Amino acid sequence: MEQTVACAETETLRVSSLRAFAYCRRLFYLEEVEELYTQNESVFAGRRLHAELQKLEREDWQEFNLESVALGLRGRVDALRTLEGHLIPYEHKIGRSYRDRQQQPQAWYSDKVQILAYACLLETVLGVTIPEGRIHYHRDNVTVRVPVDDAGRQLVRDTIEQARQLRASLERPPICSNEKLCLNCSLAPVCLPEEGRLAHDPQHSPLRLFPRDDEREIIHVTVGEAVIKRAGEQLRIAIQDEPEQKLPIQQVGQVVIHKFAQITTPAIHLCAHREVGIHFISSGGRYIGSIDNRKGSIQRRIRQYQALTNPDQCLRLAQLLVNCRGQSQRRLLLRGQRNRQDDLPALQDITTQMERLLSTISYASSLEALRGIEGNLAALYFSGLPYLLGDQVPKELRFNGRNRRPPKDPFNALLSFGYGMLLKDVMNAILTVGLEPAFGFYHQPRTQAPPLALDLMEIFRVPLVDMVVIGSINRMQWNLDECFEVRRDHVWLSDYGRRKFIELYEARKGETWKHPVTNYSLTYRRLLELEVRLLEKEWCGEAGLFGKLILR
Amino acid sequence: MGESKNWYLICYDIRDPKRWRQVYKQLEGYGERLQFSIFRCRLTPREREKLRWQLEKILMQEDSLLIVGLCSQCVERVCACNRAGTWPMSEQNFKIF
Repeated sequence: MEQTVACAETETLRVSSLRAFAYCRRLFYLEEVEELYTQNESVFAGRRLHAELQKLEREDWQEFNLESVALGLRGRVDALRTLEGHLIPYEHKIGRSYRDRQQQPQAWYSDKVQILAYACLLETVLGVTIPEGRIHYHRDNVTVRVPVDDAGRQLVRDTIEQARQLRASLERPPICSNEKLCLNCSLAPVCLPEEGRLAHDPQHSPLRLFPRDDEREIIHVTVGEAVIKRAGEQLRIAIQDEPEQKLPIQQVGQVVIHKFAQITTPAIHLCAHREVGIHFISSGGRYIGSIDNRKGSIQRRIRQYQALTNPDQCLRLAQLLVNCRGQSQRRLLLRGQRNRQDDLPALQDITTQMERLLSTISYASSLEALRGIEGNLAALYFSGLPYLLGDQVPKELRFNGRNRRPPKDPFNALLSFGYGMLLKDVMNAILTVGLEPAFGFYHQPRTQAPPLALDLMEIFRVPLVDMVVIGSINRMQWNLDECFEVRRDHVWLSDYGRRKFIELYEARKGETWKHPVTNYSLTYRRLLELEVRLLEKEWCGEAGLFGKLILR
Repeated sequence: MGESKNWYLICYDIRDPKRWRQVYKQLEGYGERLQFSIFRCRLTPREREKLRWQLEKILMQEDSLLIVGLCSQCVERVCACNRAGTWPMSEQNFKIF
């Protein structure tokens, strides 16, 4: 900790980050401290504008990289002109200017801070006096003049001081009160301002700033002889005797390698560079691990460690989790009851018992007690599952209790494979957000499986795996001989069966679900990531949205 | 914000084989080539501007670049008034090999 503070004191601030500070403190914190930086379209459009301006005025265009340790600033001045013996810094903006009550063009507050900061920087480094700075807004083609006076200089010094203090602190600032600022903010999908407002005010109806869907494709390679190669900006998948398949890297979200397909080092580099996760699944359907370069900033993880070393916090989150999964399990059983003409007293009995157990969750005083409740809930749930299978289902595909390592019947083989895939997706979501998968709040650290991923998985077991398995069996989509390989007491999916399951599972993940709290629809793929982000909010002062995904 | 994606038709005319090659490689990372020097890409505004920035860095004054944004209705009409398979669409966002 001391090291970061010392570093923050000596290192100068970029003028652009000072501008971010003036725009929104939280944006500054996310960029400077948590090192999250996503470029939105205006960043590139702005860069292009600068490049074009440079071409137009090649003669008198100069860029100055300036730094002043005394002032604590560094930055690059867009353009500098000499007018009547005075240096005038220019700043070019692609957008439009702010209009005051008389419809006169004015500089936006953050732009004003920025140009004043450039002026101060020039004054300190060159030892001259700058009378004014100018901002040209290209959208409405006006130039706004910002006088540099003592009040302006003081504003810059104060802002630098405040920004430095914020940089040294461990507290993430609250969401800014001006909602309009969030609409154009490039970090909105990470910061989730609307969801944060909902956490503070349940009456708030959030705008959806979280992208609806990640359209990048998930590539499953199930053929053992396949080779995944890089060719320029593409991934190429070569399978013996077949023409190579080309995939533009921008359209790939994950590469999932089942069995022992090969991937070349250049392809791994490309994926790591483009934030494409590579995941390995064993031939038995177990999640092995990931190559993932998306390291979160250490600040996020420190906060995670601080929160999850608090036993009360862990217990509270675990209660939410057990409740979420148990409720969903019970609702699923109730659905089975709903569709039948004949009464099922046994199933009814199970769901009433589950209800009684669920009401005791809030009284559980320790994780052990909670585990006991969860165990009982799971036992009841699995004893109720056989009732959800239709009469047409053959005896071999029926369910007689959960077993694993190895699964001993086709139903369990499907469940196990499904949970392996789900673990992979939850891991992908955790790594995308930048949390530490090995540090959870409910599951105990054991070998292989990362506890936080196991924790989060609980929420999605019922909707993403159990329902898919039950639905596909009821629809008679499985053929015993083609889809499974049976070795005495071990049953697993054949290559054909595996492909079929991946298809069903991925199709399910593409379906949308209306989030019960935020009230907007997202695909399950996005919900996985949203849930991780909402979990992080639990320990950042915006609690109350995690673990609400309960089946209706 | 809610980043929506749109289809773009990207056409270029490049006077120098070296630059042509660079642009071609860059575009291959974003979408499929439909015809010589015509690509189609499905991009968010952010990706579009990033691509444009990357291409502008390569291109010179004498080259030309045309980016045409297509709305969903445009895409339907492209499909309607051309040979089948001119604008192949995939409904899923996953692939199994």
